[in-house]
Amino acid sequence: MEQGDRVDDLLTELGHALVEGSLNDEELLSRTDGPSLIHILPDANVIKIGGQSFIDRGRAAVFPLIEEIVANLGRHEMILGTGAGTRARHAYSVGLDLGMPTGVLSVLGTFVSMQNARMLNYLLAKHGIPFIEPAQFAQLPLYLAERGAVIFFGMPPYIYWQQNPAVGRIPPHRTDTGSYLVSEVLGARSMIYVKDVDGLYTADPKKDSGARFIPRISVSELKELDLQDVVVERAVLDLMANAQHRRSIQVINGLVPGNLTRALDGEPVGTIIFAD
Amino acid sequence: MTEPDFLPMIDPETDTKPRHHVRSRLMRESLLDRQVERSTEGWVHRMLPEAHVLKIGGRSIFDAGRAVVHPLVEVLAECLEKWKLILGTGGGVRTRHVFSIGIDLGLPTGVLAQLAAADALANAHILGTLLAPQGVVAIPPEIFGHLLPLFLHSAPGVVFSSVPPYSLWEHPPGIGRIPPHRTDAGAFLLAECFGCRSLTLVKDVDGLYDADPKREPSARFIPEIAVSELRRLGLPTLPFERVLIDLLENARLLDRFQIVNGHKPERIAAALAGEQVGTIVYRDAP
Repeated sequence: MEQGDRVDDLLTELGHALVEGSLNDEELLSRTDGPSLIHILPDANVIKIGGQSFIDRGRAAVFPLIEEIVANLGRHEMILGTGAGTRARHAYSVGLDLGMPTGVLSVLGTFVSMQNARMLNYLLAKHGIPFIEPAQFAQLPLYLAERGAVIFFGMPPYIYWQQNPAVGRIPPHRTDTGSYLVSEVLGARSMIYVKDVDGLYTADPKKDSGARFIPRISVSELKELDLQDVVVERAVLDLMANAQHRRSIQVINGLVPGNLTRALDGEPVGTIIFAD
Repeated sequence: MTEPDFLPMIDPETDTKPRHHVRSRLMRESLLDRQVERSTEGWVHRMLPEAHVLKIGGRSIFDAGRAVVHPLVEVLAECLEKWKLILGTGGGVRTRHVFSIGIDLGLPTGVLAQLAAADALANAHILGTLLAPQGVVAIPPEIFGHLLPLFLHSAPGVVFSSVPPYSLWEHPPGIGRIPPHRTDAGAFLLAECFGCRSLTLVKDVDGLYDADPKREPSARFIPEIAVSELRRLGLPTLPFERVLIDLLENARLLDRFQIVNGHKPERIAAALAGEQVGTIVYRDAP
């Protein structure tokens, strides 16, 4: 083949640029914004159920939420992710003491969020709701169309490839981030975090009685507050800034009956955090 | 012991839906608290301190064909007699093609990342086939991480697809839609987690220049550079994935990586011996 003899004219102009240019060239990268993105599952809602904040409370907290999820089958499509919680904290504590790198801690955290996903799976089994691992995500659309809900573990599948945090050794991308990225890549309708607090406060309401509730806030406003503690993983806020689809998230108190249904119906319950 | 390790502990607020805690030093703590984050810093165990990680470029090496790949494989075979090698592969032109089709079809970054894994894996199987006489084969990604120390104990080296398992969970990038964590990042993160001795990125350029040497003949070669200086220069194009700057800055075990020209394969042995034969990017002293 002669140089410049474009037998591969099936390629778009961008295709030629990608094949020939550098993927680390910012000018070329800026040309990859391309035609509009498709929404893969525009009717699905991604719901993350907290580990320490929710599932660790056992039957008293979990059974009413299961009932509310069942009541919404047929009304809303739900992709249910699980947090890890107190056993992950135990595993991280042991692992840190023994010198485990962040990637290994990520593996340990994944196991705990998988336990929680399996337990939810058995509670919802009689409704035909499956638990899927990352390798089974290709079947997710079928399950969602057939049964209206599906369960996954919230940890992103980074395992040994989890990046170090800037500070400390705890994996920075945990179940809030994994669930958020599912909602982002699928172009889902919403991202709802079910926790045990009403939403975002100016301080931890469990420790500071002067804490003020924030119903709605932008990512940049939230970063400006420079809170010692935040209600979702900081990585979610960073990712939202670059989001292609999911530009807002909602944090609700799942201990209050009806909150999940209200959030699914699009009501501004809890705190809404939106990208600028 | 005065208190049991496991206790259905009622929270101080004694609500009606108590949390059942396992006793640990992170118990009841918010992992999002900065003070808690700082308290988790400390010594990290090195799993594979003798192993070297090399990433063999897709387009720069495999797609260049026999004239480039065969001499490189001969050098790798010699190196495998002296060192334990973990060989990651890039995806090359096929990955760029599937990106262009995927972008045209409106598919998001996470889907592009999922698609890319196949091409690097195909190149891993090519390299594994060529190194089969040395007992070095491509390991399926599903078992690679967990079994890596076992494989490396049993064979002089292993080959893996260097695409990290981010797949649908890939981060949306700041610019455009191309997945930011590609095969350089996959090799870096692996070398960091396993505490490997070195990371070498095998490409088709001598290293880093202050401008693209293919376009600017006056571009100046940079033999070594610190992360902080690299950030200060703000170069618009780099011979490695930009995310490596952040990853190296936050690394605990790896303190540098080297970019080496695989079209001059004798440089690879020198790089593994610790010599500067390309560009070394190093982490600033803490």
